[in-house]
Amino acid sequence: MKNPSRAVERLVVATGVASVAAQLITIRECLAAFQGNEFVIALILFGWLAWGGIGTLAARLVTSSARPARLTVLAQLSIWLAGLAVVQLAAFRLLRDVVFLPGASVGFYPTLAYIGLTIAPYSFLVGFLLPYSLYVLRGSIQPGYPGARIYILDNLGDVSGAALFAFVLVYWATPFQAVVLAGLPLMAVAAGLPGDKRRAPYGRWLAAGLVLAVMVMGVALERDTLRPLSGRLAYYEESRFGRIVVVQQAEQATLFKDGVPVFDTQNVALAEETVHYPLIQLDRPSTILLISGEGGMLRELAKYRPGRVDYVELDPAMTSAQFRFGLLAPIPGLNLSHRDGRAFLAAVERTYDAILVCLPEPDTFQVNRFFTDEFFGLVRARLSAGGVFSFSMAGYDNYLAAPQQRKLAMLYHTAARHFKTVQLLPGQRIFFICRQGPVDLDMPARLARRGITSRYIRGYYDGNLTAERIAQLNALVKLPAAPNTDFRPRLMRIMFDQWFARFETSPVPFFALLAVALSVYLLRTTRAAFVLFSTGFMTMGSEILVIFAFQVLFGYIYFQIGLIVTVFLAGLLPGAWLGARMASHARRVLAAGDLLLIVCLVGFSFALATLGMRLPAAFFLVFGFLVALVCGFQFPVALAIEGGHGRAVSRTFAADLLGAAAGTLVTSVVLIPYAGLYWTAAALIGLKLISLAVVGVRRVKR
Amino acid sequence: MTINRRRFLYYSSVALGGSVCLGLPMCFAGNPLVAAGPDDIRGRVLRGDAPKRRWKWSREALHYRRLEDDRTQCLICPNRCTLSPGDRSVCRSKVNLEGTLYTLAYGNPCAVHNDPVEKKPLYHFRPQTKVFSLATTGCNFRCLNCQNWEISQARPEDVRFFELFPAEAVDAAAARGSVAIAYTYSEAITYYEYMRDTARLARARGLQNLLISNGYINREALEDLCDVLDGANINLKAFSDGIYRKLNGGTLQPVLETFKTLHRRGVHFEITTLVVPGYVDDDAMTRAMCDWILDKLGPDHPLHFTRFVPRYKLNRLPPTPVSTLERCREIALKAGLHYVYVGNVPLHAANHTYCHQCGRRVVERLGYHIPGYHLEDGACKFCGTAIPGRWDA
Repeated sequence: MKNPSRAVERLVVATGVASVAAQLITIRECLAAFQGNEFVIALILFGWLAWGGIGTLAARLVTSSARPARLTVLAQLSIWLAGLAVVQLAAFRLLRDVVFLPGASVGFYPTLAYIGLTIAPYSFLVGFLLPYSLYVLRGSIQPGYPGARIYILDNLGDVSGAALFAFVLVYWATPFQAVVLAGLPLMAVAAGLPGDKRRAPYGRWLAAGLVLAVMVMGVALERDTLRPLSGRLAYYEESRFGRIVVVQQAEQATLFKDGVPVFDTQNVALAEETVHYPLIQLDRPSTILLISGEGGMLRELAKYRPGRVDYVELDPAMTSAQFRFGLLAPIPGLNLSHRDGRAFLAAVERTYDAILVCLPEPDTFQVNRFFTDEFFGLVRARLSAGGVFSFSMAGYDNYLAAPQQRKLAMLYHTAARHFKTVQLLPGQRIFFICRQGPVDLDMPARLARRGITSRYIRGYYDGNLTAERIAQLNALVKLPAAPNTDFRPRLMRIMFDQWFARFETSPVPFFALLAVALSVYLLRTTRAAFVLFSTGFMTMGSEILVIFAFQVLFGYIYFQIGLIVTVFLAGLLPGAWLGARMASHARRVLAAGDLLLIVCLVGFSFALATLGMRLPAAFFLVFGFLVALVCGFQFPVALAIEGGHGRAVSRTFAADLLGAAAGTLVTSVVLIPYAGLYWTAAALIGLKLISLAVVGVRRVKR
Repeated sequence: MTINRRRFLYYSSVALGGSVCLGLPMCFAGNPLVAAGPDDIRGRVLRGDAPKRRWKWSREALHYRRLEDDRTQCLICPNRCTLSPGDRSVCRSKVNLEGTLYTLAYGNPCAVHNDPVEKKPLYHFRPQTKVFSLATTGCNFRCLNCQNWEISQARPEDVRFFELFPAEAVDAAAARGSVAIAYTYSEAITYYEYMRDTARLARARGLQNLLISNGYINREALEDLCDVLDGANINLKAFSDGIYRKLNGGTLQPVLETFKTLHRRGVHFEITTLVVPGYVDDDAMTRAMCDWILDKLGPDHPLHFTRFVPRYKLNRLPPTPVSTLERCREIALKAGLHYVYVGNVPLHAANHTYCHQCGRRVVERLGYHIPGYHLEDGACKFCGTAIPGRWDA
């Protein structure tokens, strides 16, 4: 090898590519294995970043002048890292059903423990390798190698990995194939690193061979890892939006989205309720909009002979599976549209006699947008005179528990701002029937008069939906409640409460422990590291905020969301390059960076408040790029203040990662659901003001 | 390169480790029941969880004994919770206050409805009548698929409730024209005292009493209850102690004893088995269960195989295919049971009652409606065979 430092640099880039791809794939696995709510998404990112931070700190501990970092160790560890991604994925997928009961969902603490333990080896090693690569370079190859350069190279790898996954692998590769494809360059570069001068690195090649075997085995056995507990795996596809699996048991097909059964061919009751409760209110429903659907509902819908049915489903792979397995049957007048339901409704010019929303519970920011004041207003604007709008929430059998009561009350009051009548119907799902006219509750009689046949409603409605049960439910939701809005998603926190209530746990001990650990860390760290911590916090917080706001305004557009994520990483690169050249005026530059971040966020909030829907998509990309630019810019500056030695490198890397971890968690599950978008922005600005004050203190600790 | 012994051992162990890491989990794929999840999810006594003092809706418990050091042992269900002062039972209804065992679930039902009797399900008990159904909080099981977890897994103090002491409950039932009171929804055994006192008053007023339960009760307590019971639907969740422990947090044997006691005491009862895919749909287990029923209880107790739908914590399984329920029914009929139904499947042919002698449809069900009724004095109109049940209008 002519230039070993170039080889190590390539290794750092390859590590970035492999690790970001592995991270994104792990997030998808987590969503399929556990509850896919915002809490779990934040937990994965938090765990990943926190373990990375710990790994970074550990690199400092294991390296000393007596025990210098070695190129051969770096090569070996990098090879194992490439293989570990496959092992992690297999373990994540398979051990779940060994540790937990197959078919059962899992509460907060078991989820936290499982995620924390399964991703620990990989994310720890990723965090470890970054500073270790620098120590190798400085120790035996190029003393004085700039730490900021490693940061830039790592970011280059991260951007490439994110883009590779979001725009290539997600379309063409299964998860095992993706981690293998993203990991192969890393393995190749690591295996090709120069070895001991006296002999060829046979051991490393052996390790590479073994890792390759593990990779091949992973890809070959991928489908086996998805075998269901009952029935046969009839269909499996990883779409851009998640995992779609169809399990065939005898005559019944069940479609699972991210591990949760969402459609089956035999749920007659749900199909009838979803369709007939709203449509029977109308004399002749002619134009109908379905935002997502339920198994068998088109068959029920056809009984009304509508002229036009627009069926909007975000994921084309979903409708493809639905029609292929008879979960939905084509009917005359059906128009399929694969796009975000809210974006469709905002763009469409026609009005509908009925709009039926059949979405899962609003436990993510993406779904919450369909249950807000603004969305209900949009629906009203698109309903014809006398039209009907319906949606549903999870039901209860005999007792409405407090969190669910608050949730229903919030939805009731939000809908009641736009519709004169909001009638709730109890059952396995609770249906909201909203319109400006009255709602007739004698469904069986109305169906009979119209000559529409039904199985469930005809036989069971009178017993299950007694006047007493309907009255009880509608009285209980009159509880005072503030509306759920786009930028103040209050419903999300009730969803979290419900989730915790189901498992009889509380997140308070976790957050208390986290607060103590962070306080201890922040009190012991340097000022420059604190600035980086707050920047990491703010960058991740801003990224979540931007994605949240973007979805509200433009809908869930996969390509553009992927672009925002990529831009947030891409901005780091030029930022770090600039920062490395301005390190001579470190303190002033660091303060200027903080000031710039504050200005960015103030500008973002102001623009959102004043222009809202009129903002172009490019605005979000520019904002993301700017925030990332400043974040990247501050890193080399802080490193320069810290002195740039080995210990400082670990400390600054760790501060950035731990800040990002805390920012992800706190913004997603505390700030946005509890304080709304603008107060979240204010909190992030507040954090940066503290950081500015810290930088402003005359003597920055070296 | 020469590989010395140390290196050889290092690489061998790494190779072995790598294979094990990937290979071992693969072995479990598709057969997770072998080693999956906790083996026993039974509830635990809640130490120090009792309120400081009694409230209005409490009474001294029945069927318990005092132990040393002010401890008490509840003898109503097989959990036999031993409570020190300040402790709360597994079912969350019983507390030890200063050495005396109290129930906190007395006169405070949180769910009160007037339901069709078919909803319980009871198909051989006064068809198309309404039964006054009530429940307080509490359950001695921890079923992962509980459909009433909001109340079964809650403490009496944590829910909204009605004040309906036994006399008022009976008044309310009579006022609504109900023919019976059903103790249902959560787990009636956990509000045993309230149920027993209400049932005594109800019987005195000419109302009947129905127990809808998991059957996890000790014999002495059940014997007392049988004096006032007219009908029951008891869940037989699986014919496997392992599955009882894994999915429900209970054990099988006490439930089987309950069936024997009810049978011996002549209480009309029906059996319900929820067919959970992958757990309770094994043909051999169904066969063994039906053989046991036939052997110990005879062929006449109606058996309902009901369709599982994802619920509560067990929400990542598919629903039960209808054909699986039909297969279970076939097995039961072949085993010799006379009345086997399929539940949670609207308008299925196996919702109807067929005379076991002539095979004609004697009770035709359309959901909760009975469009065809061909019994006279509890006997088949076509062949005169007595159909077991309580058919009085």
